[in-house]
Amino acid sequence: MLIRKLLRDIAENKMAYLACVIVIIIGLMTYTAMQMARDNLFIARDQFYEEFHLADGFARVKAIPFTQVEKLQEIPGIDLVQGRLVQDVRVINLDQDKNIYLRLISLADHRPYQLNGVKLLQGSFPGDYERGILPADKFFTAHRLSLGSTISVIIEGKKIDLKITGTGQSPEYVYAIRDMGNIFPDPQTFEVAYIPYGVMESLFNYKGMVNDITFTLKPGYKFEDVEQELKTELEKYGLESLVARKDQASNAMLAEELKGLAKTSTSVPILFLSIAAIILYIMLKRLVESQRGQIGTLMAFGYRPVEILRHYLAYGLLVGLAGGILGGLLGTALSIYMTRMYQDFFSLPDLAGRFSLKYFLAGIFLAVGFSLAAAFQGAKSILTLRPVEALRPPVPVFSKKSWLEIIPGFRAIFTVPGRMAIRNMVRNKGRSFFTFIGIIFTFSTMASIWSMYSMMDIMVLDQFTKVQKYDLKIAFNRPLPLNEVVRELQNNGGIKRVEPLLEAPVTLKNRHLSVEVMALGLMPDAELYTPVDTHGKQIQIPGEGMLLSEQVARKLNAKAGDELRLESIWAKESPVYVHVVAIIPQYLGTNVYMNQEALLKLLQQGQVATAALIAMDKEKIPALKVKYSTSKYISTLEERQQIIDLYNNLMGSSKQMLWIMVLLAAFAGFAIVYNSSIITLSERKRELASLRVLGMRPGEVLEVIAVEQWFIGMLGILAGIPLAYAINKGIASSMSSDLYSLPAITTPPALLLALLGTMLAIWLAQRWVARKVASLDLVDVLKERE
Amino acid sequence: MDLILKARNLTKYYQMGEVRVEALKDVSFDIFPGEFIVVLGPSGSGKSTLLNLIGGMDVASSGEIYYRDKPLHNAPEKVLTGYRRDAVGFVFQFYNLMPNLTAYENVMLAVEIAKKPLPAVEMLEQVGLADRADHFPAQLSGGEQQRVAIARAVAKNPEILLCDEPTGALDSSTGIQVLKVLKDFNRHYKKTVIIITHNAAIAQIADRIFYLKDGRLDRIVNVTNPVSPEEVSW
Ligand SMILES: Nc1ncnc2c1ncn2[C@@H]1O[C@H](COP(=O)(O)OP(=O)(O)O)[C@@H](O)[C@H]1O
Ligand SMILES: [Mg+2]
Repeated sequence: MLIRKLLRDIAENKMAYLACVIVIIIGLMTYTAMQMARDNLFIARDQFYEEFHLADGFARVKAIPFTQVEKLQEIPGIDLVQGRLVQDVRVINLDQDKNIYLRLISLADHRPYQLNGVKLLQGSFPGDYERGILPADKFFTAHRLSLGSTISVIIEGKKIDLKITGTGQSPEYVYAIRDMGNIFPDPQTFEVAYIPYGVMESLFNYKGMVNDITFTLKPGYKFEDVEQELKTELEKYGLESLVARKDQASNAMLAEELKGLAKTSTSVPILFLSIAAIILYIMLKRLVESQRGQIGTLMAFGYRPVEILRHYLAYGLLVGLAGGILGGLLGTALSIYMTRMYQDFFSLPDLAGRFSLKYFLAGIFLAVGFSLAAAFQGAKSILTLRPVEALRPPVPVFSKKSWLEIIPGFRAIFTVPGRMAIRNMVRNKGRSFFTFIGIIFTFSTMASIWSMYSMMDIMVLDQFTKVQKYDLKIAFNRPLPLNEVVRELQNNGGIKRVEPLLEAPVTLKNRHLSVEVMALGLMPDAELYTPVDTHGKQIQIPGEGMLLSEQVARKLNAKAGDELRLESIWAKESPVYVHVVAIIPQYLGTNVYMNQEALLKLLQQGQVATAALIAMDKEKIPALKVKYSTSKYISTLEERQQIIDLYNNLMGSSKQMLWIMVLLAAFAGFAIVYNSSIITLSERKRELASLRVLGMRPGEVLEVIAVEQWFIGMLGILAGIPLAYAINKGIASSMSSDLYSLPAITTPPALLLALLGTMLAIWLAQRWVARKVASLDLVDVLKERE
Repeated sequence: MDLILKARNLTKYYQMGEVRVEALKDVSFDIFPGEFIVVLGPSGSGKSTLLNLIGGMDVASSGEIYYRDKPLHNAPEKVLTGYRRDAVGFVFQFYNLMPNLTAYENVMLAVEIAKKPLPAVEMLEQVGLADRADHFPAQLSGGEQQRVAIARAVAKNPEILLCDEPTGALDSSTGIQVLKVLKDFNRHYKKTVIIITHNAAIAQIADRIFYLKDGRLDRIVNVTNPVSPEEVSW
């Protein structure tokens, strides 16, 4: 019989229990989805790295004969060394509006053990001396290419046609960016492609030479153990860079993302699950309490406490099971969606959305555990009562008016039902508190999510309207004489302003901490690249010393006034010392800034620039691009608008996730308000029915409940504002990585939207309750008792 | 003959802030198996309080009460639960039916935990509600709900049947029907029945009448010739 009672109870209060279930679903969904997505990513990476042998170190030189490469194996600690050719080239026969680059990497001649091996995804490898090319799959898809078609590239100023024989992917370019200066991959404009060494050797005129070396370490050795010797050895061949696996662009980005995911995949679910647990606890506690009389009756019959407890635990069990299973399933679906999102960024061939029984079961376990605990907590207090006490409703003593009525004008503000509501609210502190917490949660989640939304926009907008104001950036292959470059570029039509830019890769060290970063040398009167402070105000570049972005400062634990050790392969003499003038915010990318003259002096370089920033008429850009597209001094042409579009595009998917979270928060708010109202309704049925009998309309009666909810709702929203700020700070710092930092901004529009969203949730819940009030059977209600 | 219930100086007070309400003062009595007792007294005289103590629903502030020599006044809740489960049938003043169980299911609720239950359908027949077995409490009148409550208590086949104002909400003919059920249970199964009422007319069906006044057991009257329920009128 008790089972029938249970099922009918649940059927009667479908919405209330559904709300409980949904709260659990929300908690579990984030849990399973994030755990599964994280595992998928980790598994896919480890598998791919393992199978295709990602190297432990990467070195770039001007040119080194194969024979010398092999000798490097004699350095103690180095296991396997392999040389290859790597060159970025411009593609000219695809999308004409864009500057498209491919990084050509030579394919080795049949080595048994290939470092950074290429996994063939479509077609076949080109023959040894065939002018064939194997582009990355993402490039192939982005340009809708087909096998057998040709890609035309510019090599040494000449147009070369290469036939596509297939597509492939190597662990070295899972996250395909040119260098650390680029944050997001864009397969439209940059990817890698593989061509036979024999072909590349002759096209670029490297007879028996390579310009790129990768190596693995013997077990027990660290990169640092071989770094110095390798450096000395390679300096003869024009060493340009030497990085460990952990600093390799693709791997570093992937590691960064995984680190972030590992962090959020525990913290976010814990947040949601604990909120779910609190809500569930209070909801079940209330549901049990509202059955106090029935519990008393069962006790009077001689039902044993364990039997009654079991009965109420069954509510929890059912709710937990339903929430757990649904949450697990939806979480799996969400994890597949998330995994697919990651597939857009990371080319991991083994990355697939996988159902994980482990997390599914763990999720159900968690849900059932939480629910049982909540139900137990809710029911246990009643079981300690004697039957007579349980049978008596927990009569609130109405001996005095509530403290709120001390407020002058209280009577004027509220109608009689309103006053009843306020007194009820003050009396039922526990439940009021629960609603309060729920509203705070709903409001602050919405506010911070919407803020994050604008944070993302601000990040991009600020960077490109306040900092990077150039229309076009031309990067050179090698440092070029500054004045000549400026003069040459100024002679073109439509040019408004040309500014030289110096970008030097440097290693900064503060005691034991070190960071590899791009140092930007800016003109003192620069207008096209102007760092700003937190308030968006332009920062004056000091004549001496360095400005550090916050991320760099954090990593080096450096503050203004500190002296840093600077090493650079560009410096005539290394190390040199430079002092920190100020720490400045930088949302996109991480750089350090110096006066151009000062930086050149520090590096002991002449008057050179590595790039030019140009402000010009938009219509003239294509012409300029055509003119320089085959120049062998120019490595890239970067249009600001294209970059802005790219960012906005990429953030689209993150924004979708944010919307899902907003909906979840709104639903949680709805569930809480609805539940709280339903409990009030069932507790005060008689009272409300009496009001109806007195001739009040359902709407007026609803006020007794509604005023209470709205009042608490407003308090919750007020309290949610500071919390939203705090959450935002947390999100901003946890989402910020070495590569970009999110500004912690809570915007008034976000607060307003959250206010509206929360109010909508409360209003909807009230509408639902209104239907229940309207359908109150007066005779029925008044017939019960006395 | 062995006593089924023995009470000595039972006292119960409620502390309400600074005010102490003495609901029951120094009540002592003996009750034998198979007796039909009516507790009579005006509203607020402590009748319900007394019934709750007898039913193991509450504990006395002082004094002693025994069920077949087993003390209830200092028994742990576990023992009281067992006592209520196995020995007591309770009919509440306000019915206390489970709102979402039908009349039949409400009776079954009691039957399921009883050791030697009486058939549920038969009990509903006896209270004249066989045709309403599938109705929910909300679909029944107050009197009908009261009769379901009685069927539910009787179906447990308890040693002691306790009824708080069983006829309070009933008209005289249904009231008489209910009293008949109680009396039959008393006579047929030789079980002790204690009913509370403030209606003096009903008292005449009892073997003994306990008069309560201001929480004191004023007097106990032996009824030499109990009348049958049909002869009662109010
Ligand atoms: N829980 C309680 N708290 C305080 N006083 C109570 C409580 N229950 C009963 N009383 C008081 O005890 C007295 C006896 O009550 P009760 O036994 O219910 O009387 P009766 O059933 O005869 O009408 C009354 O004065 C009543 O107000
Ligand atoms: Mg009473």
